[in-house]
Amino acid sequence: MLDFFTIFSKGGLVLWCFQGVSDSCTGPVNALIRSVLLQERGGNNSFTHEALTLKYKLDNQFELVFVVGFQKILTLTYVDKLIDDVHRLFRDKYRTEIQQQSALSLLNGTFDFQNDFLRLLREAEESSKVRAPTTMKKFEDSEKAKKPVRSMIETRGEKPKEKAKNKKNKGAKKEVKFLLTGFDVPLTASKTAPAEKSVGADNGVELSKEELIRRKREEFIQKHGKAADKSSKSSKSDAPKEKGKKAPRVWELGGCANKEDLDYSAPTTNGAPEIAPPEDINLIRGTGPGGQLQDLDCSSSDDEGAAQNPTKPSAAKGTLGGMFGMLKGLVGSKSLSREDMESVLDKMRDHLIAKNVAADIAVQLCESVANKLEGKVMGTFSTVTSTVKQALQESLVQILQPQRPVDMLRDIMDAQRRQRPYVVTFCGVNGVGKSTNLAKISFWLLENGYSVLIAACDTFRAGAVEQLRTHTRRLSALHPPESHGGRTMVQLFEKGYGKDAAGIAMEAIAFARNQGFDVVLVDTAGRMQDNAPLMTALAKLITVNTPDLVLFVGEALVGNEAVDQLVKFNRALADHSMAQTPRLIDGIVLTKFDTIDDKVGAAISMTYITSKPIVFVGTGQTYCDLRSLNAKAVVAALMKA
Amino acid sequence: MASADSRRMGNDGGGAGGAFQPYLDSLRQELQQRDPTLVSVVVALLAVLLTLVIWKFIRSRRSSQRAVLLVGLCDSGKTLLFVRLLTGLYRDTQTSITDSSALYRVNNSRGSNLTLIDLPGHESLRLQFLERFKASARAVVFVVDSAAFQREVKDVAEFLYQVLIDSMSLKNAPSFLIVCNKQDITMAKSAKLIQQQLEKELNTLRVTRSAAPSTLDSSSTAPAQLGKKGKEFEFSQLPLKVEFVECSAKGGRGDASSADIQDLEKWLAKIA
Repeated sequence: MLDFFTIFSKGGLVLWCFQGVSDSCTGPVNALIRSVLLQERGGNNSFTHEALTLKYKLDNQFELVFVVGFQKILTLTYVDKLIDDVHRLFRDKYRTEIQQQSALSLLNGTFDFQNDFLRLLREAEESSKVRAPTTMKKFEDSEKAKKPVRSMIETRGEKPKEKAKNKKNKGAKKEVKFLLTGFDVPLTASKTAPAEKSVGADNGVELSKEELIRRKREEFIQKHGKAADKSSKSSKSDAPKEKGKKAPRVWELGGCANKEDLDYSAPTTNGAPEIAPPEDINLIRGTGPGGQLQDLDCSSSDDEGAAQNPTKPSAAKGTLGGMFGMLKGLVGSKSLSREDMESVLDKMRDHLIAKNVAADIAVQLCESVANKLEGKVMGTFSTVTSTVKQALQESLVQILQPQRPVDMLRDIMDAQRRQRPYVVTFCGVNGVGKSTNLAKISFWLLENGYSVLIAACDTFRAGAVEQLRTHTRRLSALHPPESHGGRTMVQLFEKGYGKDAAGIAMEAIAFARNQGFDVVLVDTAGRMQDNAPLMTALAKLITVNTPDLVLFVGEALVGNEAVDQLVKFNRALADHSMAQTPRLIDGIVLTKFDTIDDKVGAAISMTYITSKPIVFVGTGQTYCDLRSLNAKAVVAALMKA
Repeated sequence: MASADSRRMGNDGGGAGGAFQPYLDSLRQELQQRDPTLVSVVVALLAVLLTLVIWKFIRSRRSSQRAVLLVGLCDSGKTLLFVRLLTGLYRDTQTSITDSSALYRVNNSRGSNLTLIDLPGHESLRLQFLERFKASARAVVFVVDSAAFQREVKDVAEFLYQVLIDSMSLKNAPSFLIVCNKQDITMAKSAKLIQQQLEKELNTLRVTRSAAPSTLDSSSTAPAQLGKKGKEFEFSQLPLKVEFVECSAKGGRGDASSADIQDLEKWLAKIA
């Protein structure tokens, strides 16, 4: 029933392969590697690819990967156990070959695992078939058949009590019946491990079964008694009510609603207001110097002090244990287990969240790092903390370099050769810096000698077109047509406010093609990701105009919101696209980077969600404040304590 | 020896000046008193220094550069080439996640050893592994998929640019070999064509790369320039030795046959 089962080393050599079907297994496994293992989404161990479900297990000690694939529609329960068994058997059988550092031993060794694997597969399949399906009860066996018909006849008056009693009885009896039938089956199971566990549980439950029955009986008696009391009480309170008429309700603490009592206004002298007592003015002014604004003090030292104090007592407590642990860790090679790593990973996760990485992403990252390191043998003189930090650093660098970096100038050259303009669209939520960064990018392009047409497709915000016009004027002053052979290097294409953005973009691109502009930068209005009609409009703009590059502009200050924004933007673009492969966000522009000191986590969140690279980083509001991302520097700032 | 020293010192001391005389006398006495231990300590220190210097010299010569790196894009055939070079057999391979290394015995007259290191080609891993291993690289073998070259020429050029820039910044620049793999496929491009295309692509790349906005920490090192500024880029302009060969790791007639990697082996024998 399995499609395939492969065992391969992390270096890429397939050590052994079992193929249940004739299709090759390399395609799905490569997809698994690329989307899960390399993108640090290794939290849960299953992955779907087309019609197959792939489950995998990493052996970090010997650098092996075990992958099993089966059809998605089947739900095989024995797969996890099978992988574990195979892993153990393989490891024990070929320990000498896989232990060595050099790859030669792997190449020269023959891994004749077929028979063992088939045996394990057979055992696993049998163990899953053991449980016989429970047969349905016949009517004669059921409760209802045992009760006399008389008890089920409804009579008025006594009805509620009787029914309640019957219900309680039925409930208790049913529960007992369920417990009994539920445990019939495992008693007949074979002596495999899960069966043993269930027998143990069986004993534990049997003891409390009688307790349950006793407890239920007590409860029922109590409730029955209470019901009798309640009925008498309610009858008592009903009686006097029926006799008298309705009396007005009197609140104990409520005041009387007299107009004079409620008038708290002080007597005014011809409406002139009172003079405030002199102390208030000083309070209002405050104790600082009068007119001058003080500089913003760097308050990072206070934060550090506050953070250090809670960690100090825990550090003092842990020193003795920590020393022994360190000594133990220094000598000899120790393999990492989850418990060892847990405290370190928790600390790292909190550290990442403190550095503004979105919370779910920090959790997923730490899960993935734990998965990658479990069972790994540490060398001498390396502590758990250093190993985990090293692994986390590597995975962070890996996340920040997801794919081929976007080389805009190269692509513009290609578009030039094909004699059509290169279209870039900027999208994002309100106030992240789309127009500002658009101006910075057009300055950069002008410096490199390309002519730019700015399309003002933000027809909603007041002053958007004027803002772009000001930018165009300034850029024109910096790059006048005279210095470029009479060619206008930068121009604004606008159609005023209130028009359809997609239409303006289309006209702008046609205009650019006619006039021979190299690049068209399309500025769109900021929109919240939850605003469905606006997201539809953006998706329509992108689908209709098919820009070469769709850049999502996000600010570095955003925290957990980044996840939501990117997911919803991508989803909107995917849902409203007619094409087979929808155009999604191609790159990210990270703005306001100068406002965060080293809390650079937003970069990680954004690239993790989209797996697209960060194309530009904005570090200020002048034209020269445009940078490209340096992954190592960002990760260093992130890991810095 | 001590007495000869002291006599020499006495003669010099007489010429130096009367002020130093009592000082020198006291020093001489001290030396004579603690003679054996002081001299032995000095000799021991000198011996240790000498061994350290020699050891460092030997280490820097021996272990540093015996590694040959196999780099290239994903699916270009690096791992299979690695297997073929080491054992001559065919093995199924998957996308590599980490590096693999093994000792390779070169078949030249000296029978020297090289360490073959196969690096993963996936975009998120390759730069990291290159950083780790480039210091110990004696030669770099860049594997190109000749059949898919037309489609991937930009990616190939971009990675090649990166590798070249990194190698040029090293102290002892490694020798380069660009292997045009998968020649067994009928649509594979020849080495000559690949060389021309790469030169053209690198020519434009060096312009666009140097014009890219500077990185965040604005490190002062400007990106190195490949080749000569005014002229079209050619591989011969580089200070590194770059050669092109063709090979086929899979072999002409399917899995069972032997691979066509003689050129590669000859080159490895040459640089060992």
